[in-house]
Amino acid sequence: MSDYAIETDGLTKVFRSRWSKRELKAVDDISLRVPRGSTYGLLGPNGAGKTTFVKMLLSCAHPTSGTARVFGDDTRHAGARQPIGYLPENHRFPTYMTGWGMLDFYGALSGLDANARRTRIPEMLELVGLEERAYHLRLGKYSKGMLQRVGLAQALLHRPKLLVLDEPSDGVDPVGRKHIRDVLHGLEREGVTIFLNSHLLAEVELFCREVAIIQKGKLALTGTVEELTQGSGYRLEATSAPERLQTELRAKARAASSNNGTIQLLYATREEANQAVDLLRSNGCEIESLGRTKSTLEEVFMKTVGAEG
Amino acid sequence: MIATGALILDTFREAFARRIFWGFFGCCTALLLFLLFILRIDVVAGALATVSIFGNTLPTTNVQNLVQQTQSVIAMILYFAGLGLSVFASAGLVSAMFEQGRIELLLSKPVSRVHLLLGRYTGNLLVVAANIVYLVAGSWIIFGVKTSVWGGGFLVSSLCTIFMFAVLLSVIVLVGVLWDSAAVAIMVTFAIMIVTPILAQKTTLERLLSSEWSRNVARLLYYVLPKTSDISVIIRRLILDQPVDSWMPVWSTAIFGGAALALGVWKFQRRSF
Repeated sequence: MSDYAIETDGLTKVFRSRWSKRELKAVDDISLRVPRGSTYGLLGPNGAGKTTFVKMLLSCAHPTSGTARVFGDDTRHAGARQPIGYLPENHRFPTYMTGWGMLDFYGALSGLDANARRTRIPEMLELVGLEERAYHLRLGKYSKGMLQRVGLAQALLHRPKLLVLDEPSDGVDPVGRKHIRDVLHGLEREGVTIFLNSHLLAEVELFCREVAIIQKGKLALTGTVEELTQGSGYRLEATSAPERLQTELRAKARAASSNNGTIQLLYATREEANQAVDLLRSNGCEIESLGRTKSTLEEVFMKTVGAEG
Repeated sequence: MIATGALILDTFREAFARRIFWGFFGCCTALLLFLLFILRIDVVAGALATVSIFGNTLPTTNVQNLVQQTQSVIAMILYFAGLGLSVFASAGLVSAMFEQGRIELLLSKPVSRVHLLLGRYTGNLLVVAANIVYLVAGSWIIFGVKTSVWGGGFLVSSLCTIFMFAVLLSVIVLVGVLWDSAAVAIMVTFAIMIVTPILAQKTTLERLLSSEWSRNVARLLYYVLPKTSDISVIIRRLILDQPVDSWMPVWSTAIFGGAALALGVWKFQRRSF
């Protein structure tokens, strides 16, 4: 049994124009490993190839070369898609269906028998926070947020081991987003692997433990959110430092600022930071705070995309 | 089996929602009511006494002949007008499946592409077949009760009409998979329905065509394309209890339909969405 929920090897997709010889390499040789039970974010600017990657993973699009496996099985085989729950971006659920009817249809396609569907549907609708009066309302009357919720319920109905979500909180209000995040955290605790494709970097940072950044079809960066956002420096804040000492400290610091008697210093290494602490303490100054600097995922993303772009 | 049932049921739901099913059902019911209340047939001791429509008495020969002639008219209306309407209505049902945002979700399910497409095809076929059977069986019962003529030819004719629709639906599926367009599917299918009766007039057509090359092309097209006109002749003969000269139009049309559907399935399997 594979240790990975998702494994791709040299996954490549080239779109060729039917009439001319023009080619567009949407996904270029991506080899990715997503461990079982992880929460994994896929990031990238518009047109980077994220959706094509996800479509190949689900066998909606055929790769030009390379393979995609889910729990060790090639997803081109229908049975290999059994453990996957999927919520696409810009989904178009048939508007003639009711919320209940839609779940019943997709549940049947996922192999759930009538009894299982009867039990699971109300459970899932309640889990995603859809009001009971909406159960038998046509989807054409649903708001965008309600459609996202019912779409998530659809993805969860057959108890998938891997959840692939494309912009799951698109159109959902902040309360709803928090609710969806809580639902996903609950699934994470149950060991479900969650693969999130989102433009909302803050959301990915809050939820995912690992991320991959795709740029121009290539895998630009992978790693845990903690590693990627870990800064390389140390921030030191102290008070009552005399002017002479401040000048000495500034000379070795990467950056410094002072305000109302408090000096803030940024050092590149732990050794430099420790030397500064020693110096401050020996001069009777008070240390307000000392810690490693952290970048946001957005900074990491911009740096990666900027550098690649 | 669960997935097949769901796909067929979904096609019915969509047909209901688009008013397609109810449109057909309404037309069929109107025709049945006409036969039930407007067409008056009086049979006395097994012989035809009077036949009247809207109170006007019609010249008649015998009961058997009257029933078979009327049934063949209904069968022809159903065959040509019904098929035309069915093609028009079904093209949208097939292409709707390929809409972006809908097809991805279907393909992500643990159901093979062949299964998905054939499930939709079967659902669509059943929507039309249900109405054809309703109309044919309904009018067959009405005629039977009114005249005691229970010939089976009319019932068999409904199978021929359903068969022809199955073939045309294969074309709709193929065009839908190739171009995602209901309009193109309708145009291509109607073109086949218009061209094939012309090709069926072999003797006249060969007289009109000047070169041997063009005559060969016309012959080839006749044998390759479905034979809508020839099958309508078979339907009439079945209803009138006349022998069928050749079943070639049926099996060659079946080969065309099978090939179109197989090509559609093959293309659907290879396509990226």
